[in-house]
Amino acid sequence: MDFRFDIIVEYAPFLLKGTLLTIGLSIAGILIGTVFGLFIGLGKMLQNKLLAFPFTVYITFFRGTPLFVQILLVHFGVVPFLIGETNAIYAAIIALSLNSAAYIAEIFRAGIESIDKGQMEAARSLGMNHVQAMWHVILPQAFKRMIPPLGNEFIVLIKESSLAAVITAPEIMYWGRAMAGQYYKVWEPYLAAAVIYLILTISLSFLLNRLERRLKTE
Amino acid sequence: MIKVQNLKKSFGDNEVLKDINLSIEPQEVVVVIGPSGSGKSTLLRCINLLESITGGHILIEDKDITDKKNDINKMREEVGMVFQHFNLFPHKTVIENLMLAPTKVRKVSSVEARKKGMELLQKVGLEEKANAYPSSLSGGQKQRVAIARALAMEPKIMLFDEPTSALDPEVVGEVLEVMKQLAKEGMTMVVVTHEMGFAREVGDRVIFMDGGYIVEENEPKQLFESPQHERTQAFLSKIL
Repeated sequence: MDFRFDIIVEYAPFLLKGTLLTIGLSIAGILIGTVFGLFIGLGKMLQNKLLAFPFTVYITFFRGTPLFVQILLVHFGVVPFLIGETNAIYAAIIALSLNSAAYIAEIFRAGIESIDKGQMEAARSLGMNHVQAMWHVILPQAFKRMIPPLGNEFIVLIKESSLAAVITAPEIMYWGRAMAGQYYKVWEPYLAAAVIYLILTISLSFLLNRLERRLKTE
Repeated sequence: MIKVQNLKKSFGDNEVLKDINLSIEPQEVVVVIGPSGSGKSTLLRCINLLESITGGHILIEDKDITDKKNDINKMREEVGMVFQHFNLFPHKTVIENLMLAPTKVRKVSSVEARKKGMELLQKVGLEEKANAYPSSLSGGQKQRVAIARALAMEPKIMLFDEPTSALDPEVVGEVLEVMKQLAKEGMTMVVVTHEMGFAREVGDRVIFMDGGYIVEENEPKQLFESPQHERTQAFLSKIL
């Protein structure tokens, strides 16, 4: 087997562009997903079962169907319906955000519910209303516990954004596949892609570990 | 100051408070005793509306707190509560624990809240711990901070829910000392406790609860030395 580094070098600028898009898709996905996820998680925790029901359905759907299917639905269905034509990058961001929101909603719910109920009682007994108690007492503590599972979700998101290649969003795997197609090579493009994903995910877990340590008060 | 009328509270089918009538005067220290499951903690939690009540009324300074028209949060500002497990906010330092409610609820400036907070910490003997996190404190210190935190809202009434039950025996005294001081200053207090020494020394009145009812109430001396009711006698003979 002769491993051709020269074609990796040739494709390096494209892979770099692809990497930036992968990072962009992942950041957009996690940010929009976090805002959405908080909203959906709080929705699912509503006392009124009828009001909570749509949020439960949302989570069930997006966790219960493959991301691949969701990407295709958004790309060929939702985006054309909204703007008349489709756009791979929009579609990828929307699908990744909607999908991660479902997981993040559950992370939020678990984080909030893991806080001892005495914390809410103490806050309320001091005269704080529910929103104040949530914001100043429960969420800061819950957030700290949510960092590891959120980091996990972020890493999953980086990797799953590779599915956007099939709808021709020009991220890492898109260029990997292009390289494979041009040279009929297997190891060079896919190993190059694998190494880039590894660099991304390892750097992220390093950053998350540092964040976790800095937020420790005990 | 506090009037409880025909209070009932059920958890599902389990009726914990059956028919509670109670009146507490300003500056009075009322100690509530009774076997576990008698409803004494629930009574306290109902007075602060941490539990929704099933029936009856609770009036604080003639305002019915069970009336939906009255703002529960405003009511709670007047009533401080100290919990068995302290419930300090672990992500905030001691002084921040004391400052949070005054600044967010009363909109006191943080400078003023800090000053007041330091005074209260001095009062409970913990001013040197102002910048420590709760996790670094002993149980007794935590509970003293919790008392100071409740006092920071300048409540008219303080409720204590078994404040020394989770403490190591050697630090119980320091918490009781703070509570005695508070009683001496004229704070209206309702204390659920197993500390009979405290009840005897500080209590103006002792209430014995069993099975969701107030079985007997009297001055501490009378209640401890000549309990009228059989169940009170049985309970006291077991613990004294």
